[in-house]
Amino acid sequence: MVEKVIEVKELTKKYGNLSAVDHISFDVYRGEIFSLVGPNGAGKTTTVEILECLRKPTSGVARVFGLDVVHDEEKIKKKIGVVPQEFNTFNRLTVKENVDLVAKIYGVKSGLKQNLKRLGLWEIKDKKFEALSGGTKRRVGIAMALAGKPELLFLDEPTTGLDPQARRELWETIRSLKKMGVTIFLTTHYMEEVEALSDRASIIVKGKLFTTGTVSELVSKYGGDIKIVVKGERRAETVIKRFTKNVFVGEQGNIIGTFPNRRDVAKALLSLYKLSGKCRINVVEPTMEDVFLRVVGGRIDESGELIS
Amino acid sequence: MFPAMLLLIFGTVFGGAGAQTYTLHVQNLDLVDGEPTELSSALINILDSTGTFKIENLPADVDIADYVREHPSFTDYRILVIPENFQQKAMDKSIYVRAGVILDTLSFVVENYGYTMTENQVGSIENGMDVLKMWRENMGSENAEILLLTDEGDTAAPIVRGVISSVINAFNNEMIGVEAVVSVSENQLTQRSFKAVDYYLPGYIAAFIMTNGIIGVTSNISEFRRNGVIKRLAATPLQKSSWIIGNLAHQVLLAFMLMLAMIALGWLIFGVQAIPGPYALLLIFMGTVVFCSIGMVLGGIFKDVEAASAAGNAIAFPMMFLSGAFWPVEMMPDFMQGVARCMPLYYFHDGLRQIMIYQNPTQALVPFAILGVLAAVFVYLAIKITKWKEL
Repeated sequence: MVEKVIEVKELTKKYGNLSAVDHISFDVYRGEIFSLVGPNGAGKTTTVEILECLRKPTSGVARVFGLDVVHDEEKIKKKIGVVPQEFNTFNRLTVKENVDLVAKIYGVKSGLKQNLKRLGLWEIKDKKFEALSGGTKRRVGIAMALAGKPELLFLDEPTTGLDPQARRELWETIRSLKKMGVTIFLTTHYMEEVEALSDRASIIVKGKLFTTGTVSELVSKYGGDIKIVVKGERRAETVIKRFTKNVFVGEQGNIIGTFPNRRDVAKALLSLYKLSGKCRINVVEPTMEDVFLRVVGGRIDESGELIS
Repeated sequence: MFPAMLLLIFGTVFGGAGAQTYTLHVQNLDLVDGEPTELSSALINILDSTGTFKIENLPADVDIADYVREHPSFTDYRILVIPENFQQKAMDKSIYVRAGVILDTLSFVVENYGYTMTENQVGSIENGMDVLKMWRENMGSENAEILLLTDEGDTAAPIVRGVISSVINAFNNEMIGVEAVVSVSENQLTQRSFKAVDYYLPGYIAAFIMTNGIIGVTSNISEFRRNGVIKRLAATPLQKSSWIIGNLAHQVLLAFMLMLAMIALGWLIFGVQAIPGPYALLLIFMGTVVFCSIGMVLGGIFKDVEAASAAGNAIAFPMMFLSGAFWPVEMMPDFMQGVARCMPLYYFHDGLRQIMIYQNPTQALVPFAILGVLAAVFVYLAIKITKWKEL
């Protein structure tokens, strides 16, 4: 049985009458990348900071490595690494000095060079933090979080504000960390990021957890129908109707059929290929964005705001 | 840079680099065949030798009123005019005075000690006195008056007038051959000979440490909190108290380094001799802890960097100027002296002065005690107020 690294039951955090986190429950298992996905103000950072022992829960249980976040703060902090949202550190220290500082706090004396090399920071180790680009600063943040050789790494919105290239480079870094055996707890509002990285994910909105599961489970459960879009072949409508009742003619005369299961999709595709070699066929799979739309009833824009 | 600039500005203004000199323009009209007389030259040389004046000669044919009008930059002017026949008048008056002294002396002797003399002796003296009186009445009794012209806005005029009067008194005494009856001897209470800048140095050091703590540390801590550095550290096993103590240790090290730089600068430029010993270092350590922990308390209270900085300035600047760090507290009105004594900076610079200047650590016991108590209180408050959770 896979070991639970994080165990959250009925966790609640209130600020006055406002529930930032409202009776949420989920587990995170060793070696996986777990994503907590939701818009700004959903309660992601509050949840992460409770697990990092930076906030006290109002009620409920939060355990990290079986240790209570309220009573075993010191023991938990020795086993985790943290990259906070909008990460920052001592501007006038170099990359190496910043990473070394955290290593010393954890009492770790070896592995500095390996850590910096792994994150592509060895060549710029003597550069001051303030002189680095946004993406490189985040990598320094991860290097600092890894300096204490943690078993669990918290990444709070690690790619927010980065350009697409820097974001993808950081994804590669996160994948490589998973290969090293580090369990990763990620918060994000990018659905693409959840699909690209996560083994499992939870959707949180306004402090409430809507659902938890693997990405494929969530997509198949909430993502909705698979679509086949055929362009330039009128006869496709008759063919598709043999496998599904939901066929309609869309913009520019495209024939669109929606399928509740994959088996019918495969059969329809075979028949369509036999029909003509000239038509253009696209299969549109549901995404986490569709999952979010169905579960929450809205979308998240680029800046992380919920659009109903 | 700030403390170094402060040292340079105040050190220069308040007599750091050598004694203050005043420009004195001298017009010598006492000439014989176009050359200054011996006595007028001697007077100018004596004024020059005091070291108080930078003597500038004005030619005899210059009209002073025109000269002042034609030289707009000739502000705060001080002009000494030695008139024509100065030497002659001074010599005549000195003989006249000397003769008067002789007559007074003989009269005193006859009145008080005449009974010890024969009638012939008394008669001879009185005859001599009559002859001397007659001769004296024919001598000139006019003073050799020199003229000092000063600008009404010249704040240094009283000092210049005082020094010239002293020189003229000495000159007069020499002319009539008076020997000193009463004299003043001078000695210094401190073991080393200190300059004015030495007395200000403890104030500069204390003021710098205070501003660095209350303004610098406050904004640093507030900025660390705003940009998430404290949150980053709080998520590690680092204890809050270690963070506070680490910060204080860092500030103490900085304070010592800057104190050394200020002393080095003071020594190079002004030749300061007030070197801190172990007691002064201990007091500097305590002062740094007090003011940096006050900074940490303010940084912990104010979430906004600008607000924290404003609060630091609002406390530090009045304290810097009202505590008497830059001038003796005794110069201030009684009420303000009371205000100064309510400020921790007062005890800091006063203690440093007692140790570094007067070499008297026992007089610094009160500052040690007050700073010790304040250090304990503010370190405790800094640990309590600094947030390590719910940031």
